[in-house]
Formats: sequence, structure tokens, C-alpha cells
Amino acid sequence: MGINAGKEYRKKNITVEFLFEQNKSRLKLEQLTQCGLENLIRDKNLNRPGLALAGYIDLFSHDRVQIMGNTEIRYLHSLSIEARIEAFNRLLKFSLPCIIVTNNNKLVPEVLQIASDHNVPVFRTPLETTKANYFLSDFLDDQFSPQTSIHGSFVDVYGIGLLIIGRSGIGKSEIALDLVERGHRLVSDDVVTVTRKGEGILMGTGTDLVKHFMEIRGLGLIDVQSMFGVRSIRYQKRVEVVVELMEWDPNGDFTRTGLDQNTIPILNVEVPHVKLPIFPGKNVTVITEVIALNYLLKHYGFDVAKEFSKKLEQVISQKSKNKGKRSIDYFEHDFE
Amino acid sequence: MIEQEITIRNKAGLHTRPAAALVKLAAKFQSEFFIMRDEMEINGKSIIGVMTLAAEQGSKLLLRFDGPDEQEAAEAIVHLFNRGFDEV
Repeated sequence: MGINAGKEYRKKNITVEFLFEQNKSRLKLEQLTQCGLENLIRDKNLNRPGLALAGYIDLFSHDRVQIMGNTEIRYLHSLSIEARIEAFNRLLKFSLPCIIVTNNNKLVPEVLQIASDHNVPVFRTPLETTKANYFLSDFLDDQFSPQTSIHGSFVDVYGIGLLIIGRSGIGKSEIALDLVERGHRLVSDDVVTVTRKGEGILMGTGTDLVKHFMEIRGLGLIDVQSMFGVRSIRYQKRVEVVVELMEWDPNGDFTRTGLDQNTIPILNVEVPHVKLPIFPGKNVTVITEVIALNYLLKHYGFDVAKEFSKKLEQVISQKSKNKGKRSIDYFEHDFE
Repeated sequence: MIEQEITIRNKAGLHTRPAAALVKLAAKFQSEFFIMRDEMEINGKSIIGVMTLAAEQGSKLLLRFDGPDEQEAAEAIVHLFNRGFDEV
């Protein structure tokens, strides 16, 4: 275990204002009441308040974002104005974070006034309910995902997200710089924020303050984007392989065949883990490129170690005496 | 392992110069040195990490030392924080 991961944490809440600002262009949100932007959302799930409007308020998940689709709006319109106000008052006895009306549906001013009185912001989107649900669920799921910060360099090498870790001063940044120089893309150096999306996907990014800055010992700080241009950076990447740099130790447990795939847990997701011994004169950059290519090969179904092992077993099982012979039987006067 | 909470004392906060002084001092020790602020945890031997904290005057940081010379490291580094990086 060599990962210097910080504590796992997740946001406890976000404000309605943040939800609005982040989604207003995607969902074309329109603000129907001027209040309650400071309300807090604590749950990543959404709720359709249809049953609560109709009077069944047991198990009403009032602390969720409330989505009012065609069903809710048609139901409200089927009621007389008094019954409508009563139904809405019943809903707003609970503290709701906000209400989002889909399909460009309309709410009468009396009803909007009730929402204002209870400090519940109401928004409207032209999107249909399923689409709005999809966008909002994805956004909220991301916001309430577990996160952690890891000390390491994170580079996209041939499309594979390599997280390079190791003790301070071992040369992570130098390898990342070398990879950038060879045309790969830096996501973040030193502080990598990792977020778990869904069940088994880890997404890594830098921090707001130090996007693509890097420290090279003896030189100081450099800005990779302004020095190497836009092709040398990217903002986010899936974490796919962890490369741990270690000082060469004759007793160290380094794999010799690569048959066993070691993994290391980050936010409870097992990530392939390569322990790489380093010593002066070893070209670690090329090896990290090979690690990425090897991962790609495996991804496309070709496992070198397994193939070699299969071939070896085949030869062993043959009772031929020609084991270990030359790979060319006869050089046939071709002396090139 | 030693953990200790400190407060940033100097007016300008943990800006570039003190951050450099801090990582230079930390690099002299063998022990690992981490700084935690809210949910963020960074390696105290990395200048970018320390600057990421953007710790202002009055902010509280939790320092963690782990290794053979943790006692000496903790003493020296806590002393540096308490002196306000000689900027008070």
C-alpha cells in the first residue's frame, strides 16, 4: 500500500443557487419565484410529488428536488382553484428545497405565491420530464459522489489515465514532464482530486488553483499549458492504472512475468497497480508508455504474459528434443 | 505518528514565500509530512500541494508527521508556523 490518499469525503449539501447556476443553460431553466436560492439540497435523488398533491403524504420524500411533470400539472388543472390551493398548501407544509416544472408547464400565480410565501424556489424547463430527470440525476449524483485527493502526477498516455505515485522527490513530476514532451497530456501534477462516478469509475482532475502547474526541483514552478500549448493538457481523465515509483530494492517484490494483476483500492474501486523500481539510467518514461500500451493490449484481449505462458506450456508438453533451438532452421545464404 | 493543529498567524497567509520555506524545511526530514485542511489532504513536501491549500490568516491546519524523525520534524515545522514564518 503506497497510496497517500486523503480522507474520503462527499459534499453534504449544495445550494439551490448552485444547482440553478450549473444547470440553467443545459436545462434552459427559468426562475419563476425570486426566493429561496439559499435552500440546501441534501439528497441526490429526485421526487415526483404526484401522490403528495393528491393527499397521500406518508413517505413523502420532501427533502428531495421535486419534479412536476405533465401528470402533476394536469392533476392540478383538473381541480377547482380552491382545491388546487389546498393541494399545494399540503405540499408546502413540508420544507422542500425547490420545485422544477418540466415541459414548459404553467402554474397559476396563486400557486406560485404559496411557494414564495414558503420560500420555495420554482423553476421551469422546456425539457420533457425524462430528459430533465436524466440531466439532474447525473448532476446530483456527481455532486454527492465520494471524493479524495491523492499526491501524484496524473497523465493521459495514449488515452490511458496513468496515475504516477511515489514518495516526495522521487521524480513523479519529471516523468510527467517527459511524457508531456513526448506528446502526452497532463491532467494534474501533485494534487489529484479523484471522484467515484457510478459504481466503479474513477475520474481524476486537478484543483481550481493550480490547474497545470508543475514543480521541477532546481527550476521552480512551470506552467505546462503556456509552455507546451493546449495539446499538452486536459482537464479530466478516467483513472485507469496506478504506477508506483519505488527505489530499487534487491529484496523488493517486483513482478517478473506480469501474470498476476495487482490492484490497489482507491475509494473502494480496485485499480490495476504497477510497482516500478527505478534507478539512475533507467528510462522510466518509455516504461510508463509501455505500461499504457500493455494495458491497451489487455483491454483489447491480448495478454502478453498469458500468451507466452500458453506457448511455453505447449512446448513443454511436446516430447520433442528440439527445445530451445534456433528460431530459424537454416539461414539459406541470406546474409543481410 | 504525530498530529498537531496549528493556526496561520501571519497576515499574508501561507503564500509563496512561506510555502517555499515550509517545503524546504520539511524536505530535510525523512518523515512523511501531510497537511489537512477541511477535506483536503496534501503532501507537505510538495510546493504545489502546499500552495493549493491557499491558507489565509486565521485558518486552521492539521499537520501529520510519520517516520523515524517525526519528533524533530514536528518540533521544527510547528515552530516555523508559530513564528508566522517570521512575517508577524
